[in-house]
Amino acid sequence: MRLLTKYNRINLITTVIVMLFTGIIYYQAVSIILTNQVDKDLLVEENEIFEHVRINHNLPEVYKSDDQQISFSPANGQTITRRFIDTTYIDQKEKEPESGRGLISSVKAGNNNYQILVVESKVETEYLIRIIFSITIAVILLLVISLFVINRLTINRLWKPFYLILNNLRTFNIADKKSILVVSSNTSEFNELNSAIATMSAKAKNDYQDLKAFTENASHELLTPIAVINSKLDTLLQTDIFNEQQSKLLGDLYESVSRLTRLNRSMLLLVKIENNLINDDQNVNVKEVIEQLLAQFSEIYADKNIKVTINLSDKHLHISKSLLEILLNNLLSNAIRHNVDYGYIDIYLNAHKLVIKNTGKNLALDSNDIFKRFNKSSHSEGTGLGLTISRQICDNNGLSLNYQYDDPYHIMTISFKD
Amino acid sequence: MKLLIIEDEQGLRESMQEYFTEAGNICESAADYASAMVKVNMYRYDCILLDINLPGGNGISILKDLKAKGHSDGILIISAKNSLDDRLEGLDLGADDYLVKPFHLSELRARVAAIIRRKSYNGNNIMTFNEIEIDLQAKTVDVGNTSVKLTRKEFALLLYFIANKGKVVSKNAIAEHLWGDEFDMADNFDFIYSHIKNLRKKLVEAGSNDYIHAAYGMGYKFAE
Repeated sequence: MRLLTKYNRINLITTVIVMLFTGIIYYQAVSIILTNQVDKDLLVEENEIFEHVRINHNLPEVYKSDDQQISFSPANGQTITRRFIDTTYIDQKEKEPESGRGLISSVKAGNNNYQILVVESKVETEYLIRIIFSITIAVILLLVISLFVINRLTINRLWKPFYLILNNLRTFNIADKKSILVVSSNTSEFNELNSAIATMSAKAKNDYQDLKAFTENASHELLTPIAVINSKLDTLLQTDIFNEQQSKLLGDLYESVSRLTRLNRSMLLLVKIENNLINDDQNVNVKEVIEQLLAQFSEIYADKNIKVTINLSDKHLHISKSLLEILLNNLLSNAIRHNVDYGYIDIYLNAHKLVIKNTGKNLALDSNDIFKRFNKSSHSEGTGLGLTISRQICDNNGLSLNYQYDDPYHIMTISFKD
Repeated sequence: MKLLIIEDEQGLRESMQEYFTEAGNICESAADYASAMVKVNMYRYDCILLDINLPGGNGISILKDLKAKGHSDGILIISAKNSLDDRLEGLDLGADDYLVKPFHLSELRARVAAIIRRKSYNGNNIMTFNEIEIDLQAKTVDVGNTSVKLTRKEFALLLYFIANKGKVVSKNAIAEHLWGDEFDMADNFDFIYSHIKNLRKKLVEAGSNDYIHAAYGMGYKFAE
């Protein structure tokens, strides 16, 4: 639930409860005051009766009135307590019961005790109360609506910096050179949040750059010792006749050094691609590059008896040729290397996408994991960086690279932007 | 041939020097910028192997200096920087080739041989090794009067072997030379074997001696 909705809900519920409560109190108060008013009228009437009795020593004549009825009845020896009652008032004209207020009292006229009942209609009063109550309700409603609208407007405006900051965070890219945008706001909380985020992102970027620089420097520093080992091995190979055990050891050494070399090159390449340092973009025909690479690899897949089927249309891309070659080289060499003997490779290229399908030793691979660094199948002799590099090249050039498995094919798809 | 190796890393310099030292070759070396400048100003070489990062200066300045003075020594840049810009800058400035560390000595030798060939066989594209005659321009091979039909890779392989004659060349170096160092084939070298077998068979069938010898299961040696 959004903060605004939450806040509005609480706000509205509280307002309605408070307003209802005040409404009830208000109603009661008005009601009591008006009843008192009616009671006063009744008392005035009673006094008039008393006055009449005191002067004339008889009961006054009962006259008809629109909103008051007086009746006398003999007390018959009963004691009459003087009290106000809520009763019904029967309108003479309309013959309809209305709510009324009555006063029961007693008077002694002559020798007889009489009970007096003065009843007054409360219709007018209730009408008044109703009007007052309606006005109140209308005011409450108006208040609630205006509160709602005002909250909505102000809060949206107040939280605007927050959403801007949030958006900045969302688009934050640690590898990006740009630093996070500063959102100016006159709310100190948001300013604090913003500066905290700016500091944090700057630090994250800095750490990332340091780490990257370290990777690059480390890889660079490794080049020379690897070159020395490599050359010494080549030299050692010339020295003498080796026995079988020594040959085996040398072979293993060669293999490891060659892996180390490739790994090191891949790391340097990845850093370079991540830093966008290779930008010799030119117009390249993807079809030609694929055909060239296939010719290059023909002996290798022929040796594994892999059947390669191609269906290529011309597709021109504005991209670094060397990077495109690395990308396709990685994908094609994977398709060959992880293939089975007598397997298949299908390559399909049109204006929208390039699809490389191959049969393989593995079952379906995790389409998220395979693009991660150093993620490789247990029996792979690769560097584990090939697909990471491929994905990075695609990302940098607005292409998307995806993997799917459709038994028995592993499918790599590069979608070109249109 | 006369070579100069300009490389500050002692281990690498020594290996290179040793690999090139044989009858008929003069191989000198320089470990820093100053001594390299002295040598290149005093003597002429068939090929200079030039490292970019040197104590006391940059290999690129040596290259510029050589070109400014109009010397035609072959120049092969050896660098730890696999940057395209560096490569292009080096080649633009007149270097003949560019090799990135780490490399196989056999690869280095093949590149040097190619540079020297280009420099010295003016217009003459025929290279011979005993009874094997190679036309570099037409990419044809004859043994005596019999022409040998080689594939593009077999042809490259033969040149590679001849450049490294008498040396044991590892399978890794051959694979990298023929298929590029980007291709990762550590798990399978069988196809190299079949390639070499084919080349050997074609040469022998054409009447050549069998020069290609397997060496301890790690590589091959092209020798008489």
